[in-house]
Amino acid sequence: MRSAIDAQFARYAARRVGLLVVSLLGVSVVTFGIVNVLPGDVALLILGNRASPERLEALRQSLGLNRPIWIRYLDWLGGVLTGDMGESLRFGDPVARLIVQRLPASAFLAGAAVVIAVTVAIPLGVVAGQARNTWKDFTTSVVAFTGISLPDFFWGLVLILVFAEFFSVLPPSGYVNPAVDPIGGLRHVALPALSLGFALMAHLTRMTRSSLIEELRAGYVRLARSKGVSERDIVYRHALRNAFLPVLTVIGLQIGFLFSGIVIIEQVFAYPGLGRLAFQALLNRDTTLIQGSVLTIATVFMLSNLIVDLLYAVLDPRVQTGGGA
Amino acid sequence: MSNEPAYTRRRSDESTASAGTPPDDRLLTVSDLTTVFHTEEGIVNAVDGVDFHLDRGEILGLVGESGAGKSATARSVLRLIDDPGEIVGGRVDFEGTDVRSLSDEGLREFRASNTGMVFQDPTTTLNPTMTVGRQVAEAVQTARGLSRSAAKREAVDLLDRVGIPDAAARANDYPHEFSGGQKQRVIVAIAIASEPDLLVADEPTTALDVTIQAQILELLDDLREDLGMSILFITHDLGVVREICDRVAVMYAGSVVESGPAESLFSDPRHPYTKGLLASINSVDDGTGPADRDRLNVIEGQMPDLTGTTDACKYADRCPGATEECREAHPDLEPVPTDPGRSVACYRHEHVGEMAYEYDHESRSLSWQTDRADGRGDAGDEPVVETEGLVKHFDTSGPIERFLGDPEPVRAVDGIDIEIDAGSTVGLVGESGCGKSTAARALLRLIEPTDGSVTYRETDVTAAGSDELRSLRRDLQIVFQDPQSSLNPRRTVRQIVRRPMDLHGIGSQGDRADRVAELIDAVGLDTSHLERYPHELSGGQQQRVGIARALAVNPEVIVLDEPVSGLDVSVQAQILNLLADLQEELDLVYLLISHDLSVVEHVCDRVAVMYLGQIVEHGPTEAVFDPPYHPYTESLLSAIPGLEQNEERIVLEGNVPDPSNVPSGCRFHPRCPRKIGEVCEREDPTDHAVDGETIGCHLMREEYADEVDWGSVD
Repeated sequence: MRSAIDAQFARYAARRVGLLVVSLLGVSVVTFGIVNVLPGDVALLILGNRASPERLEALRQSLGLNRPIWIRYLDWLGGVLTGDMGESLRFGDPVARLIVQRLPASAFLAGAAVVIAVTVAIPLGVVAGQARNTWKDFTTSVVAFTGISLPDFFWGLVLILVFAEFFSVLPPSGYVNPAVDPIGGLRHVALPALSLGFALMAHLTRMTRSSLIEELRAGYVRLARSKGVSERDIVYRHALRNAFLPVLTVIGLQIGFLFSGIVIIEQVFAYPGLGRLAFQALLNRDTTLIQGSVLTIATVFMLSNLIVDLLYAVLDPRVQTGGGA
Repeated sequence: MSNEPAYTRRRSDESTASAGTPPDDRLLTVSDLTTVFHTEEGIVNAVDGVDFHLDRGEILGLVGESGAGKSATARSVLRLIDDPGEIVGGRVDFEGTDVRSLSDEGLREFRASNTGMVFQDPTTTLNPTMTVGRQVAEAVQTARGLSRSAAKREAVDLLDRVGIPDAAARANDYPHEFSGGQKQRVIVAIAIASEPDLLVADEPTTALDVTIQAQILELLDDLREDLGMSILFITHDLGVVREICDRVAVMYAGSVVESGPAESLFSDPRHPYTKGLLASINSVDDGTGPADRDRLNVIEGQMPDLTGTTDACKYADRCPGATEECREAHPDLEPVPTDPGRSVACYRHEHVGEMAYEYDHESRSLSWQTDRADGRGDAGDEPVVETEGLVKHFDTSGPIERFLGDPEPVRAVDGIDIEIDAGSTVGLVGESGCGKSTAARALLRLIEPTDGSVTYRETDVTAAGSDELRSLRRDLQIVFQDPQSSLNPRRTVRQIVRRPMDLHGIGSQGDRADRVAELIDAVGLDTSHLERYPHELSGGQQQRVGIARALAVNPEVIVLDEPVSGLDVSVQAQILNLLADLQEELDLVYLLISHDLSVVEHVCDRVAVMYLGQIVEHGPTEAVFDPPYHPYTESLLSAIPGLEQNEERIVLEGNVPDPSNVPSGCRFHPRCPRKIGEVCEREDPTDHAVDGETIGCHLMREEYADEVDWGSVD
């Protein structure tokens, strides 16, 4: 029976990975297409307005801009698959290297934000869900609602004001590699991660609360009561695992929003991550860098959703036998 | 919170309530139990001063229609009432312990070691993310404090005991890997884990097929004997009660109206409500064939709303024998003077014999429908609807599976022939999963058939283009099983009934308005219902709206997909009468899909019995049912609870097999109680004409005819 289930899981995982590959191809087409049909001549951008038409034409020729778009796409895609995303028009450095330099900082920031959000949100949501319609529930709801309503950069400003300016306990900006200096790394990531994770935390708290309330009404909870299981075990052993499933889905989807949050938060905290890189690339019309960062962000988003889907299948035994699409 | 009962009632004498049995046999005494639900509409008196008792080893049936307060009563006994419900009065005495006064921990221990409960819907009652072994082991642990490994071993024993094959391996499976009947067995295993004194079974077989129901009832009865436990058995099905219960308490609108030993209560009901219920069922059971197919005896109206207070007998409005006296206060449940084992809550219980339920059929005018109805009666000898080799296969595989190889499709409908004559009703019966609903949908082309043809009055339905199909929809309509989900919740009744006429452009605006009024009258509703939304109607009223909607385009053929299976007995009878009236008036043709053989037997001219996508037996109703020749038909009939007492029951093992992997030869052979031998596994049986019907079974072949023990078939 066990091996049958494992085989089923492998099939399910294979299907999800196949879907991921197809989706990534789609993303690459869209990214490349949008960046390349945007108005603005790359050659003009590089050489400036006063360049002579001959020089512009020569540069286009050497950059291969005169070739049909689909040839350029395949060329680019081939490069991406071998780890070559071209060179940044602005910095002259290979795009891949720029991204590899910046990605760990952003991943650390996003990971920290998710960890903070989940560890706070689940217990809070459980307390609120269990103590429905009491002051505890009410307080949690108000805090959560405020958290969702205000944008993350606002929390960034508040946190800088309180912890960096007023108490001077945490640095207001910068980044230290946690692999080199763990304490310094954590100190630097604390404020941006908190401001980034606050909205997610609020969202997850509300989700956990409503999901738990729903599960506590389910038939299996009544059965558990009828067999004499304590209320504590009913919540933690029975209801919470089921209540966590929809929360997990939300986490997966929210990671996408987290990355748009990162673009702004990294500006606010002068944090040298991928978001800042993408933002600069956008300002500079650095097309190769834009393509590279967007594709990277999309890949990270899809990978995290893949992980969530697989985790979901582990937590919910019904998923794999669902068959079909 | 007021602890006062909601109506004026006299206290019943405590001493008389326990008359009849020696007190040491008494396990549970419930007195004046009152449970309310706080809702936005006000306080609902779901359990309104209920008295009953249960002796050791006894099965007490708590019967009544939905909304009578049976489940709320059962849950109140275990204090399993959820918010916004609240037990506000009365006493639940379990061997001298007052359950209502137990502390939280005391209550937990009471539930863990003294009681067990089985619930109605097995699919939502087990935790989907926990293996069944752990769920059973948990019950063992709470009851007996065993170690985890010992509890796990014990759980496997329990699963084995309730009849889960290969229990040790299956204990590691999750609930979704079990069939409905097996899930209910797992829940029974959990309920008996503590070897409880009291088992509360809340509609334990309602969600199951009749064959599976028979298995579960047998299991419960065996366990009762082995463990010496008492069962509080909640059901709306009087057949089940008659089958399994020693004593019965009949509930109506939150109160027990009559209680007593099952046998005498059924043979000699003392409360007019009990009498009416029995009458509506018996008349379904009695009638066979069109000759004696009279209208059913029905209790008109519906159960009163339980909000607020009552100052009359709750049944007075529907009672054929109510007098002035009945309108003063609700009567107490009191022992019957001539029969101390029985109690009844009726001022006029001595006159129950004279009270009669009659059904007056008043012809309602659907004048505009007759122009199309003319000439329907005589279609010559040709059937009005005919299917030939109708097939519907579902391909459930995804692109990857298809790439890996050609998978077996789900053979939901696998070549069926049905003929329906003008003005007649054909029944299609079988267990759930046999493909009967799919067949009906394919017949109407609500889903595209894979193969075969459907003909309606010389029009090929399967070949019709979209325009032709549109006009065919006027003639071919359907009424769905669940009226609640088939009526648009955001439209009023008026809009729902009118919409088909708008879509088909029938009549002028004014005509349509008139016709809506006529239709709503024809289905027994009145104009006050027109502006309501579906959720404001009862289940029976919703089904009436569904019928009115189907009639709106003036069809000739109506497919009735389990039209009464979601409804209470008394409402069922009302709807069946309505359908019979409409058929008579408009010469309608019905295809009735049902799992309820007694309804089919009462309503249908011809019956087709379906198993795993094929028709195994068909013919005139009397010929098919009396006597049943095909072993499957025989088993289905035999599984109906409570019809005949003391008859040897055939309990079919297992479930309907997976239709994507059908057995070789005769599809029924793995479950067949009369399997001859290898021939059944090898050869697909051909159809044999016997006694005016057609049967697909090897037993009908001459060389095997001797194998049939016709004596047992009678």
